[in-house]
Amino acid sequence: MTSQAATAPAALAPEAANASAATKALTAGLVGLALTALGVAFSPDKHGPVMSYLVGVCYWTAIAIGMLLMVMIHHIVDASWSVVIRRQWEHGLAAFKWLGLLFVPLLILAWMKPGYVWPWMDLNHPLHGHGTVGADVLYQKKSGFLNLPMFTGMTAGFYLIWIWLSARLRKASFTQDADGNAGWTSTNRVTSAFGIPLAALSLTFAAIYWMKSLEYHWFSTMYGVWFFANCVRGALCSAVVIMVWLYRRGDLKGVLNTNHFHSIGQLMLAFTVFWAYVTFSQYFLIWNANVPEETFWYNIRELNHDGSTNQWWWVGLALLFGHFVLPFCALLSYRYKVTHHIIRRIAFWVLTVILVDICYNTLPALKDAHGDAQPFLSLNLLWVLTSVLGVGGVCVWAFLRSLGTTKLIPIRDPRITECLTHHE
Amino acid sequence: MAASSYGLIATFETPAALYHAAEKVRDAGYKNWDCITPFPVHGLDKAMGLRRSIVPRISLAGGITGFCTGMTMIWWTGAVDYTLTVGGKPLFSPMFAFPISYELTILFTAFATIGGMFFLNGLPMHYHPVLKYDQIKRGMDDTFFIVIEARDPRFNLANTRTLLEQAGGTEVKELEA
Repeated sequence: MTSQAATAPAALAPEAANASAATKALTAGLVGLALTALGVAFSPDKHGPVMSYLVGVCYWTAIAIGMLLMVMIHHIVDASWSVVIRRQWEHGLAAFKWLGLLFVPLLILAWMKPGYVWPWMDLNHPLHGHGTVGADVLYQKKSGFLNLPMFTGMTAGFYLIWIWLSARLRKASFTQDADGNAGWTSTNRVTSAFGIPLAALSLTFAAIYWMKSLEYHWFSTMYGVWFFANCVRGALCSAVVIMVWLYRRGDLKGVLNTNHFHSIGQLMLAFTVFWAYVTFSQYFLIWNANVPEETFWYNIRELNHDGSTNQWWWVGLALLFGHFVLPFCALLSYRYKVTHHIIRRIAFWVLTVILVDICYNTLPALKDAHGDAQPFLSLNLLWVLTSVLGVGGVCVWAFLRSLGTTKLIPIRDPRITECLTHHE
Repeated sequence: MAASSYGLIATFETPAALYHAAEKVRDAGYKNWDCITPFPVHGLDKAMGLRRSIVPRISLAGGITGFCTGMTMIWWTGAVDYTLTVGGKPLFSPMFAFPISYELTILFTAFATIGGMFFLNGLPMHYHPVLKYDQIKRGMDDTFFIVIEARDPRFNLANTRTLLEQAGGTEVKELEA
């Protein structure tokens, strides 16, 4: 009797806590979006805030894509250790429809003012030093892919694919909680079998359209893989943040053990190396071939037109050490991987550096009067932060709202016992 | 007899009995002892008080050696021993030395891991005193053993035997070296 009275309020608390946190997240999100909108409305150069908003949408979409991939990879390899973590990722997938909605302003802008964000959309857009986009042979050859109707249709298609796959995966998993039918696991395996190639292709083309095409002269076959690496790292780090948060709140106490943290830490280490491998390969091949159509992309991230070093050179070095060397060395340690506050700190750090990496890949497309890249530490960074807060607040709100609608862990998943007793 | 004694071996019927006996031996402060089981018993390393393996450190040392070997080799061959300008590139740059260094990092890490494991676990081992025990083959089927070596500083034939018996061990036998 006493124990019932003692546990009843504790059992209710998480739902109330979720609801209050969701409200806070949505408020923060709306404030961030409003600040970004103010930036667009009143900034003397509106390119900065608009491009920063693109960074914000791409950043959170990357994390959501990573979660989608992790859920599908979990199903396709029939993983057992990550069943509990998979459920948290499934909640994260609720953000896709809002991310799609948040991309719409960029599409509207692309139609109303072609060439404002992506220069190739305006054939009369002057190129620095020579002619216009329409007269540029590199544009003409790529125009079958780089045109506004294709861009619009493909972007809508990407979000529809992600929303559809997410809805299928979530429905099967959540229904299994109620009816206990193991068939839902097979359904999700089938979804994953065709979903993984679909997601791989869509994330590659999304990265090319949204970010790479800002500098449409450029060539790199590594770009989609680079984006994929960031997507997965973002999802793994978000999972660690969620795991530690729910563990400390008591929800996952007794559910997660040391080995869950060790395993996800190992994946974080693996994808740190993968990111470095891909990013270095891209740089190395361009450095080695030394072809102007490719090297210019790195040149504007190192030098101004007068040969002086610009801020992006330092950002590049910060990525080398902050996105690879530091997390790599830290994640080699077993103790760091299994100590909650340390692995969480590493996760927050990597989530921050992913944002810097996306800035590095997009923002130098903003040029000053000399055709040099606008510096990293400028007003643009403020708009990046308001956009990340804005889009992120909405994503976290969507996650928290979904969190309250289902069981905390997939209690009737065929592999749940293996997950709860996960060992080395 | 006592001079050529390897130690004491005790038999346990279930993993749980072995697990709890291991905790008692651990708490008694023994260092030179081992469990023999037909299959991996999860959590036994904790019950035995074993630390995590130091193989990862040996792997790291191997990896660092491999990386430095790669860098040094490319620098020595390209910038010192036989200088040759290729494609307008500098005689040495870490850029083109990275792929080789990366490969050697992995290769040397793998060698160090395998070598370190064999060094630490003492394999291949052609003879071990427990092989003389006529019941030992049951340790590959359905029986569990604890062996405490005579070279352990706390080893004392009578006391150790008592400990093993109190821990639930049956058929405590002395092993010949």
